[in-house]
Formats: sequence, C-alpha cells, structure tokens
Amino acid sequence: MDSHSTDWRGAAVLSGARPAFGWLERQWAVPALLLAVGYYLAARVGFAFTLQPHPISTLWPPNALLLAALLLAPARAWWWLLAAALPAHLLVELQSGVPSVMVLAWFASNCSEALIGAFLVRAFVPGPLRLDSFRNASVFLLCGALAAPLLSSFLDAALVKLIGWGSGDYLDLVRARVLANVLAELTVAPLILTWAALGLQRLRRVPARGALEAAALFAGLLGASLVAFDLPLLDAHSAPALFYAPLPFLLWAAVRLGPAGTASALALVVVVTIWGAVNGLGPFSGGTPQDTARDMQLFLIAVAVPLLLLAVTLEERGRATRDAREQRLQLTHLSRVAMLGELSGGIAHELNQPLTAILSNAQAAQRFIARGDIDPEELADILRDIIAADQRAGEVIRRLRALFKRAETQFLPLDANELVREALGIVHGDLVMRAVEVMPQLAADLPPFQGDRVELQQVMLNLIINACEAMAGSEAGSRRLTVRSRPVEGGVQVSFIDSGPGFPAEQYARLFEPFYTTKPQGLGLGLSISRSIVVAHGGRLWGSSTPGRGASFHIFLPAGAA
Amino acid sequence: MEGCVSVVDDDALVLRSLGRLLRSAGFTVRTYPSPQAFLAQDSDTAPGCVVLDLSMPGLSGLELQRALAASPDPRPVVFISGRGDVPSSVAAMKAGAVDFLVKPFDELLLLAAVQSAVEKDRAARSVRQELSLIAGRVAALTPREREVLARVVDGKLNKQIAAELGTAEKTVKVHRARMMRKMGVDSLAGLVRAWTVIRQTGAAPQY
Repeated sequence: MDSHSTDWRGAAVLSGARPAFGWLERQWAVPALLLAVGYYLAARVGFAFTLQPHPISTLWPPNALLLAALLLAPARAWWWLLAAALPAHLLVELQSGVPSVMVLAWFASNCSEALIGAFLVRAFVPGPLRLDSFRNASVFLLCGALAAPLLSSFLDAALVKLIGWGSGDYLDLVRARVLANVLAELTVAPLILTWAALGLQRLRRVPARGALEAAALFAGLLGASLVAFDLPLLDAHSAPALFYAPLPFLLWAAVRLGPAGTASALALVVVVTIWGAVNGLGPFSGGTPQDTARDMQLFLIAVAVPLLLLAVTLEERGRATRDAREQRLQLTHLSRVAMLGELSGGIAHELNQPLTAILSNAQAAQRFIARGDIDPEELADILRDIIAADQRAGEVIRRLRALFKRAETQFLPLDANELVREALGIVHGDLVMRAVEVMPQLAADLPPFQGDRVELQQVMLNLIINACEAMAGSEAGSRRLTVRSRPVEGGVQVSFIDSGPGFPAEQYARLFEPFYTTKPQGLGLGLSISRSIVVAHGGRLWGSSTPGRGASFHIFLPAGAA
Repeated sequence: MEGCVSVVDDDALVLRSLGRLLRSAGFTVRTYPSPQAFLAQDSDTAPGCVVLDLSMPGLSGLELQRALAASPDPRPVVFISGRGDVPSSVAAMKAGAVDFLVKPFDELLLLAAVQSAVEKDRAARSVRQELSLIAGRVAALTPREREVLARVVDGKLNKQIAAELGTAEKTVKVHRARMMRKMGVDSLAGLVRAWTVIRQTGAAPQY
C-alpha cells in the first residue's frame, strides 16, 4: 500500500488539485462512464456472436475492453474503473436469465483476466501501454493476450463447475473460454490501445490522399472478407484458397496504415468472419458449433498475431528512420547557425557598406539642395545608388534568412557556379577583413544537378571558412583562395584550394571525425556534417594537401540524379 | 571648405557616395577603387588628405598608410572601416591617422575629420616649405661659412671665432656678412630663428 499512496500523492501534486472524493478522482469519471457503456455494448456483441445452441460466445470483448482500459490508466484508477464496469455487467447478464451467483462469479473472473493482464504488462512496461514497438507488442501478446485469458479461464471454468451452471467438461469449458478471450484480446485491445495513442488531433491532420487510400483499403478488405467468409459454402475445395482473399489488404494495412489501421482492419475481418459463421455462412460453417468456433478462432488468431507484430515492427523502423532524419536536420541546422555566428563580423561589414552608401548619398543630396546647387542628373544618380545599396542590403538579409531557417531538405535543380557565387557573396565581408584574395575559376556549361540549396551552401561556406582560418597565420599579401568548378565524368566538381600551411597526411583521416577540431573556438562538426550532406546528395567530399603549400577540398556532385 | 581629398575604397557604391558627400561640402575630390590605382595616379599638388578604407583586397589600408608616410610629402590619413576592431584602429592611430571612423558614420564626423586633416596638411606644408627654403640656403653656404654660422648662433664673438678657426678677425667678418646675406637674414635674431627651425627637424649641420 506504500507505493500506492505514493502514487496517489504524486498525482495530487501533479494535477494541482485535491481529488473530490478521496480515491474517487474526478478526472476518471468520464472514462469510467465510457467504460461502463462500452462494457455493456461489448457484452451485447459477445452474446450476438454465440453459435446456437452452444452457449459460449465465439468472441467475448468485454474482458479485452477492461484490460485495454486498465493498460491506459494509472494503477490507482484500476479499482475505480472495475467498479464502474459492475453495473454494466449486472445489467447485461441479469437480462439473460443467468443466476445472480453465476453473474457475480463471472464478473470476478472477467476482472481477474483484466487485472492479471494489466499487472503482468505493467511489470514489463511501466506507464500507459503504447503498441508502438516490437517489445511492447510482444509483452502485450504474451501477458495480455495469452497469459491473462489462460489463467483466468481456469478460474472461470472452475466457478462454473462449482456453481453447477455449465454442463460440459471442465477442460472443454476452459478451452472454449480461452479461445474466445484470446481472440477478443487480439481484436479489441489493440484497437483501443492504438486509437487512444493516435488521438483525434493527429487523425485530423491525415492528408486527403491518405484518407482516400484508407477508404480504398477498407472497401477492398470488406469485399474480400465478405466473399471469403460470408457466402454460402458451395465447394469445399475452394475454401483454403478463399482464406487468403483478405490477406493482401491486411498486409497493405500493416505496411501503410500503421498499428491503428492494422488493428482496425483485423477487427473488420474478425467481425465479418464471425458474423458469417454465426449465420451459417462461409468456410467454417457446416460442422458442430464447437468445431466451427474452434477452427474459426484459431484461424483468426493465427492471422492477427503476425500481422500485429509486422505492423508494429514497421512502425518502429519508420519511427527510427524519421528520428534519425530529424536529428540530422537538427544537427545540420545547429552547426549552420554556429557557423553563421563565426561569420557575424563579416556579415556586419556586408551590411555596413550599403548602409554607409545610403547615408552618405542622402546627406550629400541634402547638402546639394541646401546649397541650391542641384544637378538633376546628379540627383538621379544619387537616388539610383541609394536604391542599389538598399537592394544589396536586402539581398544580404535574404540570404542569411534562408541559412538561419530550419527547413526540410528540398532537392531542386541547381547550378554549381551560382551556389559558389552566392557563398562567396555571403562571406565577402569576412574575406575582405581577413585579407584573403579569392580567385574564382568557374567553368561554363556545367551539367545541372539536384540538391538542397541551403545545405550545399553550408558545405561551401564551411570549406571557405576553413580555408580562411587555415591561412590566418600566413603573410597578408599571400592569402589566396582559389575556387574552381569544372565538369567531371558523371557530375560536377567544386574545389576550394588555399595557400595556407596545409595539413600532414596523418591528420587527414581525423579531419572528418565529429568533434575533431584544430580551432580553439570550433565545434569540430563542420567537416563531418559537410561530408554527411554531400553523401546524402550521392556525392563525395575529400581533401588533399602538400604540407607547406596549402590544402584543397573537393566536392563531387552527381549530375541529374537526386 | 577647401582642400583636395583623395578617397580610396574598393566598394564602388561607398566610393561614389563618399565622393558626393565631400564634394557637397566643398572639397575637391578624387576617387580611387583600389590602393594600387591611388598609388599609380594620385599626385599631391594641393593641400588635402586621404580617406582610406581599412580593409581592401590586395594592399590593406594600413600598408597604404605606411607607404604614404614614407613619401616626401605625406598627407594625413582618415581611416574608415566596416568594423570597429581595436587592434587595427590602434595601429592606424599610432601610425599617425587623424581619425578612425566606423561605418556607417554621420556626415559631420567625416567632414570634421577631413577638415582637421586638411588643416593639418596645410600647416605641415608651410612648415615643410620654410624648412626646405632654409635647408636650401644652408646648402648654398661654403664649408667655411657653415663653420662661422654654427659659431655665430652659439653666441661667439668674431674674435673668438677667428681664434677657433685660426684665421684673422677681418676674414671672419667677411664670411659672416656673406653668410647672413645667403641665409636671407639681417639680424642675429633672424639667423637664430632659421637655425632653430632646421635644428627641430634634425637637419642642422653638425660641426
């Protein structure tokens, strides 16, 4: 009870309000009410899916509903949720003419199933369960969908025999209840768990194309399931082939719609199949009710388990890919911003130049006017220069804004020379301040290629800054940076050649390692990120040096391809 | 305001705007897009100054300042810079710059700096003119007349000078009169003044 009370106090602190009725927390009133309504409806479904004259349902969803509710709720709300299910249970069971002792015994066994499943799952996965990883799904399948129905069914059947309500063999009773409940756990609980995790907010953001795809999938699945399981059985030999009719749609759902879509598709197939069997249709009909129920349940369980695992695994892998891409984007952006920070002095210079021109021109015009000595031609020149300077400042800001922004990678047709010129424009102020003389040697007729403008500019800026810093120790008149572009086989090569001291061969391999830096204020990410950007473009980034005579770095970008 | 201002800036827009501003204030302006163009074309006939951008490709502003200072008729320099970094402004001021303005600057700052630089140049020019006049006169003296000059400004009497130089007092008198005439002075006070001017510049003959 110690940990329970700790939980309780923790929650009170978190919510910032004292619960209204002690352990009865107001926030659980609505879920409890929903659970009660759901439990009642689920039991009605369970009754409807009973194969007459056999009294045991082929699908008993209320227990799975209880388990799903417990798995989503904190442990302190469990008793409260179970209590809410009791009136629904009494209401639905007493209608069916079962003795009240049996009704209460069944409630106990139903609750035991949900509690066993919830305790076991919580033991391995703390907190609300999300079916979004292979591990979580496996824990759910073993503890929630297998162990819980199995263990509770022994109790259930024992209670039935004890009260003397049922007439069948003890083990037959256990088997029938296990299968009905395992199938329900596989059908109902994943549906609730995945949709609860998805939430309505995210559903609203599904694009029209995605919604259309889902609609087509479910229409096809419904059609295939109806053909396979709801037609009068004409030819016993065609039945095995028909079992596979819904499979393409189920795989489609697993690959494209994620766990929630897959759980929904499975639920649809289960409902259609059982409806057919209950109405004497489809491949499972024809035998005794016990055989029909068993064959159908085993078939559906065999379909559901691998499909759920497949959907969850794909989801997990997709998330890992998305996370990795997101991290790369973030890192790229951060290092770009850090690099722009290094450039801030040069950028201020680049803005000061046009600002000076604007101010001096305007003040000159004022003086000419005050002197009464205005040459209209001169005035027109002044205004033209002011406009030009203003546009130049605007261009500096526009380029910077593009670099500062954190945007998705966008592959567009690019011209390497234009990229080089823009990059040189951005660092112009720095080049001037560092007394670096730039010698562009840009070949005409370069093949166009696909790439992300901002990311490639980042690479070029990084190489230019590195070159400038490498030459910082050289004599002022001897700092030369040659930027050369030329067409090579299969693409474009852009080279940045400096006249600094170069680097020894043994240092080369380390240059591209993350966090390796020779600069006191450097992050050491520039070259490693630059290389990852170029590689993401299908290109290569490498360097070479003759120590004492400068270093050169080269980018190769493949033409045409993205 | 009068004076001839040479502006050197590699940024064409800035160069034109500064040229206009200085012309609007009455200066005669010559503009150069690079230090090399300035060195090749500029001649310093009239009093004035040079407005110099600190950071230019090729030859930096500080190097040009050094080259200017080494010329026979050095003009004062007003530096302008896109960044106000301390080391280069200190270096510029130490090397004798009149002012160091950080872009963008107000016209009054630039015009005041240019004006004071022009005045400084004008004053320096008149000193240099007088100096070269006196130096020319000293150069026209014979060795003996220079020996007499040095002793006259030391306050020695003709008799003492004659004794030191081992010659007759009469001869010293003749040398002295010729020396006074060549130096363009008619009193001892005038001679001492001219002497002081060349002594201040370190160009006085030593005997």
